[in-house]
Amino acid sequence: MAAIGSFALLLALGLSVYSFLAGIFALIRQHDESSPRIGETARRAGVMIFAAVLLASLVLVVSAFQDNFTIAYIFHHSNRALSLPYKFAVLWSGQEGSLLFWSLLLAAYGFVLRLRYKTDPRLFAYASVVIAGVQIFFLLLVNFAANPFGLLGGPLRADGSGLNPLLQYPEMVIHPPMLYLGYVGFTVPFAFALGALIMRYPGEKWIHITRRWTMVTWGFLTCGIFLGAHWAYSVLGWGGYWGWDPVENASLMPWLVGTAFLHSVMMQEKRGMLKVWNMWLVFATFWLSILGTFLTRSGIISSVHAFAQSSIGDWFAWFLAISLAVFVYFFFKNKEHLRSEHKLESLVSRESSFLFNNLLFMLACFIVLWGTWFPKISELVQGNKVTVGPPFYNRVNIPVALLLLVLTAVGPLLAWRKTSLESLKRNFFGPTMGAIAVAIFLMATPPSWGSPFGLRPWQDMTYFYSLMAISLCALVTFTVASEFYRGGKVISNKTGQGMFASMVQLTHRNTRRYGGYIVHFGVVVVIIGIAGAAFNQDKEQEMGYGDKATIGPYTLVCRSYTQDDKANYASEWAIMEVYKNGHMIDTLTPERRFYKASQQTTTLPAVRSTLADDLYLVYEGQNPDTQKPILKFHLNPLVMWIWMGVWIILAGTILALIPNAQAAVRVPAPRLVEHAAPVATGD
Amino acid sequence: MHKIVNMNKLNPTLRRTLQCVILCSAVFAFLGAGDPASRFSDIGHQLMCICGCHQVLLECNHVGCPDSDSMRNELMASITRGDSDSLIQQAFVQKYGPTVLAAPTTTGFNRTAWIVPFVALALGLVSVSAVVRAWKNRPAPAIADGIKPPRGVELEQFREQARKDTEL
Amino acid sequence: MNIDAFLICALVTVGTYYYVFHLPGRLYLGPEKTRLGYLRERKEAVYENLRDLNFEYSAGKMPEADYVSLKSNLQDEAATLLAEIARLEAKAQQTPDRKR
Repeated sequence: MAAIGSFALLLALGLSVYSFLAGIFALIRQHDESSPRIGETARRAGVMIFAAVLLASLVLVVSAFQDNFTIAYIFHHSNRALSLPYKFAVLWSGQEGSLLFWSLLLAAYGFVLRLRYKTDPRLFAYASVVIAGVQIFFLLLVNFAANPFGLLGGPLRADGSGLNPLLQYPEMVIHPPMLYLGYVGFTVPFAFALGALIMRYPGEKWIHITRRWTMVTWGFLTCGIFLGAHWAYSVLGWGGYWGWDPVENASLMPWLVGTAFLHSVMMQEKRGMLKVWNMWLVFATFWLSILGTFLTRSGIISSVHAFAQSSIGDWFAWFLAISLAVFVYFFFKNKEHLRSEHKLESLVSRESSFLFNNLLFMLACFIVLWGTWFPKISELVQGNKVTVGPPFYNRVNIPVALLLLVLTAVGPLLAWRKTSLESLKRNFFGPTMGAIAVAIFLMATPPSWGSPFGLRPWQDMTYFYSLMAISLCALVTFTVASEFYRGGKVISNKTGQGMFASMVQLTHRNTRRYGGYIVHFGVVVVIIGIAGAAFNQDKEQEMGYGDKATIGPYTLVCRSYTQDDKANYASEWAIMEVYKNGHMIDTLTPERRFYKASQQTTTLPAVRSTLADDLYLVYEGQNPDTQKPILKFHLNPLVMWIWMGVWIILAGTILALIPNAQAAVRVPAPRLVEHAAPVATGD
Repeated sequence: MHKIVNMNKLNPTLRRTLQCVILCSAVFAFLGAGDPASRFSDIGHQLMCICGCHQVLLECNHVGCPDSDSMRNELMASITRGDSDSLIQQAFVQKYGPTVLAAPTTTGFNRTAWIVPFVALALGLVSVSAVVRAWKNRPAPAIADGIKPPRGVELEQFREQARKDTEL
Repeated sequence: MNIDAFLICALVTVGTYYYVFHLPGRLYLGPEKTRLGYLRERKEAVYENLRDLNFEYSAGKMPEADYVSLKSNLQDEAATLLAEIARLEAKAQQTPDRKR
């Protein structure tokens, strides 16, 4: 089996190299008689990379299912008692496997891209070459630096050493693929951008072509990041979902820059502006995805996420340097092609709001990058490491996030080119009054009503931030609602349809814009959920039979505690009854497991989620003197809003992917050519 | 011509309001910390567990952690003794090294950690403003590689066509 | 390496070779990108902006004075492109089939 896998990886590498070199040859000598045919073989070789990497991945997964412990990777990341979904997840649960998985996803994106080449064969040929170049790097890694099919020396082992128990959670099966789909996916817009730059592509059509790719990728990355947060929340058992760990930061950076790109690319599409900036943004997004991997796997920066540290850091460093050099070379070679087509007409305009939006996203990204690197810088400068933890990021990034929220509210209401005072008044009066009313309501209501009520911003900085955040969220919601309402009214006046039907039609006419508004609304819901963290409470207590504990509106009674022994793990847990207003409403069983194969212990918190708050119980262990369990209780208000908001964001993203009702772009008739003459651009 | 918003006109009031808000929140932020429980929580969230779990001290939950319990007890003891925040932090740094603080201090080289983001914001604002100004003042670029706009009757005719084509 | 594995590898190699190098007689090369096509794309973008503007105005998002001046600017832009398109079309002696 391992031999087939190794062979498939070598074959894939050969195909990538061929696709890359033949593709370049065909593009350089495009006026030759034979070059279209050579280009076609390059494209086909690119298609076959996917088949070869898929074969290798299948071999790895099948080996895991067959408990083939002759393969070192399977031995280290699986064991016989491991349940099947996690055996499948072996493909991304360790260093070598996840690099193979990365290659597989890149090959899959390349596969789709190369099959859809008829959209614009020349542009796609360039993009295909760029993707083949990136593919070569990852295949070199899995072939020569981190081969997942390496054999285990010595006698055949009876059982594997098992999967890290923290990873044995259902989200483990979907979180890494989503995140990787996001990371890898940004290679595609980058490939198109670089291709368009190299070929001096006339016009902005390439942006139109890559728009969906970018949105899909962004959706995956968003999904991956939040799944990671949810995983941390449900598995790590410290009651939070985001710890500003370097690995989390590594995923956040490309997300921030990618989000900036999604916004500023509209400037280029609509107004032919910011071409240089967008080129750099899309490159930065791609580069940061790779940098994140480099940071966390080279061991340069320490992190909770334990990836085996190895020499692949050097490979990544070289790849980062080479890709930067290639990009910079072509940028300076062709940069006069990226001239802007319009001037900026007014400081108060949609254009300038996009500029500030980009500034804030880049700043947030810079802060994360700075915080991640600072321990290293400090070590170099003053000789000792320091910790840059949550207090730093919270203090520095929250104001930036609030400013971004302001722009989210203001931006969509500004007109392109210039906005007069009159128009500002007209659009902002209502939403601003609404937001102020919400703020007053939050301050004036008695705290006994529930968590976010009775907000006294003067008591604590976090309360102040929460109040600001929630009021600004209200502002964004009102502006989004007013956009839908006014648009719907125009259509309803014209067609005589009801308001709801009109709004649906409105959305269908411009799915990207209104899908985008729904994404904004989802972000608002997420931020309300995050703002709830200002009211978190926690408590630790030893709980014997019948012991009571109170937190917030809940009273908990320990009904019993017990132990169990399974093939894969031994566990102990407590059975807790939850009372509210004197009625029993639920039973929770926080648990602690000891995994035998890996000799590790983990906690499984029990969470009761409602719209108002999450009751989060952690079984911390037994008091050795009394043999009674020690439990930690967290009351985390509004956390469920975060996960709801993510669903809304995803719904908005999917909506934005649906084609508009009126197809505005007409495509000229295709041309079939036999041994065709070279395709020229320009006049 | 149009009335474009004059931001300078808004500025004095806006600025004063902002200053008030910032001042108030700063003052009340200092008034907040008082009772031992909230001090324990505040300081405990500014310290890291040193066992290698990379978690904030009060959030370290991993079973059988060799350090967090004793660290928490030390913290509680110092608070009941009535030590000041900075004294407690100094004691922890002396005992466990500078990585025990969850965020860089505001002294010496560590200050740069805090200053740089704001410098970046300032630089960013300055450069965006410079870009905006430069773009406002530059001559209108020619459309699509220097096509001359039509004149007279021809212009009107094409404008009319554009109007018709884009009517809702 | 056992014989099964060898056979699978050989089969995969042959299949790959066949797919990559056995090309059909005709290749799809796509429409030629001409200046005319490029200008039409640009015109579509300007038209889209004009439609948006009209819509925003009818939704009551801007006062009339703003609307008139923004619209006039965009129409000038569209007219410039339309004139150039017309000139190129005439030069290419094509029938003006895009008039609606």
